[in-house]
Amino acid sequence: MAQWSNALTLFFSLLVEAMPFLLLGVLLSSVLLIFVDERRLISSMPQHPLLGALAGGLFGFLFPVCECGNVPVARRLLVKGAPAPVAIGFLLAAPTINPVVMWATWTAFRDQPSIVFLRLGFSLFIATIIGWVFSSQADLRPLLQPSVANAVVPPSTSLLQSGTFILGGTGQSLSRFDTSGIVIARPPVMTAWWHRLPLMIDNMIQELRELGGMLILGSAIASIIQVGIPRDVIISLGQGPVMSIIAMMVLAAVVSICSTVDSFFALAFASTFTSGSLLAFLIFGPMIDVKNIGLLFSVFRGRAIAYLFALAAQLTFLLTVIVNLYAS
Amino acid sequence: MIVKSRFSRPRFRMSRPPSGPARWSFWLDMGMMMIWGILLFKYWLSGQILFLLHPDYVWLTIATGIILLAMVGFKIMQRWERKQRSPLGNPTTSLQHLSLLPRGWSSTLLLLIGILGLLYTPRPFASDIALQRGVADTVAVTRSQPQAFRAQVRPQDKSIVDWVRTLNVYPEPDAYMEQPVDVVGFMIHPPNLPDDYGMISRFILTCCAADAYPVGLPVKLTGDRSDYPADQWFRVKGEMATAELNGDRRLTVLAQDIESVETPRNPYNY
Repeated sequence: MAQWSNALTLFFSLLVEAMPFLLLGVLLSSVLLIFVDERRLISSMPQHPLLGALAGGLFGFLFPVCECGNVPVARRLLVKGAPAPVAIGFLLAAPTINPVVMWATWTAFRDQPSIVFLRLGFSLFIATIIGWVFSSQADLRPLLQPSVANAVVPPSTSLLQSGTFILGGTGQSLSRFDTSGIVIARPPVMTAWWHRLPLMIDNMIQELRELGGMLILGSAIASIIQVGIPRDVIISLGQGPVMSIIAMMVLAAVVSICSTVDSFFALAFASTFTSGSLLAFLIFGPMIDVKNIGLLFSVFRGRAIAYLFALAAQLTFLLTVIVNLYAS
Repeated sequence: MIVKSRFSRPRFRMSRPPSGPARWSFWLDMGMMMIWGILLFKYWLSGQILFLLHPDYVWLTIATGIILLAMVGFKIMQRWERKQRSPLGNPTTSLQHLSLLPRGWSSTLLLLIGILGLLYTPRPFASDIALQRGVADTVAVTRSQPQAFRAQVRPQDKSIVDWVRTLNVYPEPDAYMEQPVDVVGFMIHPPNLPDDYGMISRFILTCCAADAYPVGLPVKLTGDRSDYPADQWFRVKGEMATAELNGDRRLTVLAQDIESVETPRNPYNY
């Protein structure tokens, strides 16, 4: 009984600490979705593959979304003609390289600032490298789902684009839908900001609801592991320099907790797991996890996801093993 | 990594744009946000928030509660105004969002957990968690270093955490011999200590209960430890001594007076 009570206290502690950051994340994500026109940003992106990937990674400062929100944004970037390195750099780094996640990580690990800085540095490095690797594929469309590939605006051609066009609603704007009925390109709404406010709040509620559900599942798993699994088992798993990293990467992929709040989840393991393994959780989770793979399939074919997964896993493992062996 | 283009030609097929949310879905969302707003306020007003969070972050919780309730108010007012204008209803624009959980599940889960939160009263961690996490009389290297370390504090004014931090800086137990002690904490009965020893302890919090870790000082009790039940809060007065415990020479409180006290409003240290 006491075990359950402790698990519940831990569970609500994680939820209450994470909820403000989740709300802030969905607020900023919704503001940007409704108020910012990505096409202007894309046109100012550097053309060099390495710089493009780096710029894409830093895009997160402008689009502070977690990994659930960044897939739709990356999809919009691709459809609007962003170069592959920019889109891939954004896809992998934006869930970590953004002010909300930085603040949340600092809140959780302010007594271990190295974790905060290494999380940011390694995430940006891995995203830039993978974005650069993907630049060798000049035309990314063969790696995309057909519905997205068909919608991509090629750099200089194609006056006519496929899809179903709906002349709709207020302002008579032209929206494009793919074959599954998902909005893939929407012109910026040109109405006054107070008219866009209800749309922003609708989006906030929608994201809060969906990400909140995942947060609850993640917090429940963290609480049960902390209270239910004997400390000896956790310590034996968490103290090996290599084993601890593998364990935390698997946990990150399975738990699929939102990057806005994953620091609090990792904090629950701070006293028993190596610093490198905590970093592996914080770097790898936002890039690839079970939930994210589901979302990635809405944009990429399986082959591209396998490349992303393999590269991100290997680079994360390599960097965090170095931290465990040489830096701690 | 060059892959040949194999994507198919555009398929022209009529497809429907996403429809607006159903009525039940609207009220489910409103209920979910209202319950969470109320829950956060309940934690704050009842003081239970201090069992869950570091006090520095309480304002974030209050702000979140206010925003959630304001969003509910805004949406209900908006819906009421629409109904006044068009009694047949006017579906709201829905932006497509991709998610793993089926529609309605997330809201239901959040709503049920919110209700559970209203029914369940969190309690501060006690000796079972302290024993599970390993109570220590030194602060582990991975843990936060003191933000305000005062070496000039009189020994009798030091809390358990002050003593542990002092010991962390200068771990020689003999240096503190015969210094007066007056500390408040909860009692733990570690199985590896003799029956006339207990551990007077506190949890330290950096962020939230998830990272709470226990610290404590061994106490040589006046009598058997069954007279001082585990988890109960005590004020221990005495002086510092050293004792051989489990093969280690450790700083120990020689208790002269142990009185039972109420659980403090804020049971954690920071």
